[in-house]
Amino acid sequence: MDQSRRNFCLGAGAATVGAATLSTAPAEAAVARKGGDPAHRWAMVVDVRKCVGCQACTVACIMENDVPENSFRTIVSTYEVTEHDSSGTYMLPRLCNHCEDPPCIPVCPTGATFQRRDGIVVVDNTVCVGCAYCVQACPYDARFINHETQTADKCTFCVHRVDAGLLPACVETCVGGARIFGDLNDPGSTVSKLVREQDLKVLKPEQGTQPRVFYVGLDPKFQGRVDGTPTLWRPSAHAERSLAGKEHA
Amino acid sequence: MDTNIVEIINVTREVAWLPWAVQYFFLIGLSVGGLLLSLPGYAFAREEWRRLGRVALLVALTCGLAAPVALLSDLHQPGRFWHFYVVLRPTSWMWWGSLFIPFYVTGLLVHGWACFREEFQQQGRVDSRLAALYRLAALGGGRNDRLIRGTGLVVLAGAALVALYTGTEVAVVKARPLWHTPFLPVQFLMTALVGATGLVLLLNRFAAVTDHEVEVQANRLLAGALGGVMVVGGLWLALGLFGIDRTHAEALESVAKSEAWRVTAIWAVLATALPFVIAVAKPKGTGLLTGLIAVHSAWMFRWTVFIGGQTVPKTGAGFYEYALPAGPDGLLGIVGTAGLWVFLLLSITALLPTPPRSAPHPVRAVPAADRAVAAE
Ligand code: SF4
Ligand code: SF4
Repeated sequence: MDQSRRNFCLGAGAATVGAATLSTAPAEAAVARKGGDPAHRWAMVVDVRKCVGCQACTVACIMENDVPENSFRTIVSTYEVTEHDSSGTYMLPRLCNHCEDPPCIPVCPTGATFQRRDGIVVVDNTVCVGCAYCVQACPYDARFINHETQTADKCTFCVHRVDAGLLPACVETCVGGARIFGDLNDPGSTVSKLVREQDLKVLKPEQGTQPRVFYVGLDPKFQGRVDGTPTLWRPSAHAERSLAGKEHA
Repeated sequence: MDTNIVEIINVTREVAWLPWAVQYFFLIGLSVGGLLLSLPGYAFAREEWRRLGRVALLVALTCGLAAPVALLSDLHQPGRFWHFYVVLRPTSWMWWGSLFIPFYVTGLLVHGWACFREEFQQQGRVDSRLAALYRLAALGGGRNDRLIRGTGLVVLAGAALVALYTGTEVAVVKARPLWHTPFLPVQFLMTALVGATGLVLLLNRFAAVTDHEVEVQANRLLAGALGGVMVVGGLWLALGLFGIDRTHAEALESVAKSEAWRVTAIWAVLATALPFVIAVAKPKGTGLLTGLIAVHSAWMFRWTVFIGGQTVPKTGAGFYEYALPAGPDGLLGIVGTAGLWVFLLLSITALLPTPPRSAPHPVRAVPAADRAVAAE
């Protein structure tokens, strides 16, 4: 069953056995979950070997979710890696990990950020006060303040599409089939099989967040904060005006 | 293996806690520091601390009233602040803060009134057009040491809660190694004391007549607080340098390679050591200098922690750039809060019976003058 693109189906509702390797959320976090169907646990596997760095997912996400200019819910971080005089390009699609133990939730002073029973972490932007505490608490820089709504924003796994039985826009559009989306509660789903059969990695495992976005072929050099020369391209309007080489004022 | 990585495409996450937040943490810290400095003179009625205490109380009141405005402005949806008060979110230190701040500020106002009541009463006896108002403000009473002590202890509890929450709120953020240290709440408190003492020195210096006894007292306190800052900072550094604790080592590692951070570190050491030496060597006549450096170093500490801290990417390479925007998200926020503070200071010192400078008829305030900043 290929869940990376067209053949995605909801259902398999009867299957509730989680992947053996995955521990479940702490009791208090699970209690606080609301909405969504507890029969599912949505997750993504990103096969970095298949990513060609075309940023189609980045654009699809912006179009689908009306993400404001200069903001990104997902982006394919791209690195030039030189080893022994040979150079190559390394692509790493990043998005919210819909963590099983998400540090962005307990800090929220209003309850605007919460986790659905199907594991998707969402922000109710009619409740959010824009205090940005969650932005600080996320270890993955997955969150930002949306300057159109002036509230916290981030990837939602395209919750509106998933609820309608569709794939997230980034998965739907991925030419390389590098993004695979599915239900960890369904033992027959591609993501469950991959989690069971392959040695998948997550970003920053030491943070204890238990991400539910897994990676195939994740180089340890990119698992945490990347030790390299910073990006040449800066989207922020402020930053463009500032002097190069100034790290903090 | 020699690997060289150049980041070609990534996103720059802009700072989400704005200079408003720096102003808030600075002002609320100075307020707490000011309150602590005022306690011996007022709540514990130690006469030799009373004059310093009066200046410190002005610091506590003016900064404590301006701080919540800065905090509110740091919310991107300030009109929704009431959302804090319709939920129970005990896992969030910020939510606790939304309870502690009103408690502290209300307590501070009541305590401030109790401390100044004596002066209201004295002003009420003076033959002036405002006398009736002063009598009203005194509520038919004068100095009441029990009331001062009672309210002082309540507001001390509030100050402790504010100090606890402001520090812990930031220290619990595991995602930022620079913040995630049990030292941070202590450093916030120590630098707050430094800043508050610095502001006492400045207000004392700009009073109509500089009170040199207060200056010497404050400079001694300043030296103590700066000594504390150096000890805590040294411990933090040692834990990181010798790899005793992983978070501290990580924090140090995250900025060690940066030239800008090295400059900041040297700057911080100088801004601590210099006023320390001056305050110890020559506590009299140097209040303006030590005060300015102290206030500046308390502010710089917060700026570096918040704005500097947010320029360290959590996943990306290098550092995010930050340039202070001119508008409300940047310079205007800083200038605006400073302006509000000046306004509060002028209002309070004009209304309170013994304004340091603006007393039109000093003679009028004679009974209170012996306890005034302006008097010697
Ligand atoms: S990746 Fe960040 S925003 Fe997403 S659930 Fe985890 S902590 Fe929250
Ligand atoms: S920005 Fe919004 S979602 Fe995030 S912690 Fe604050 S109130 Fe909660």
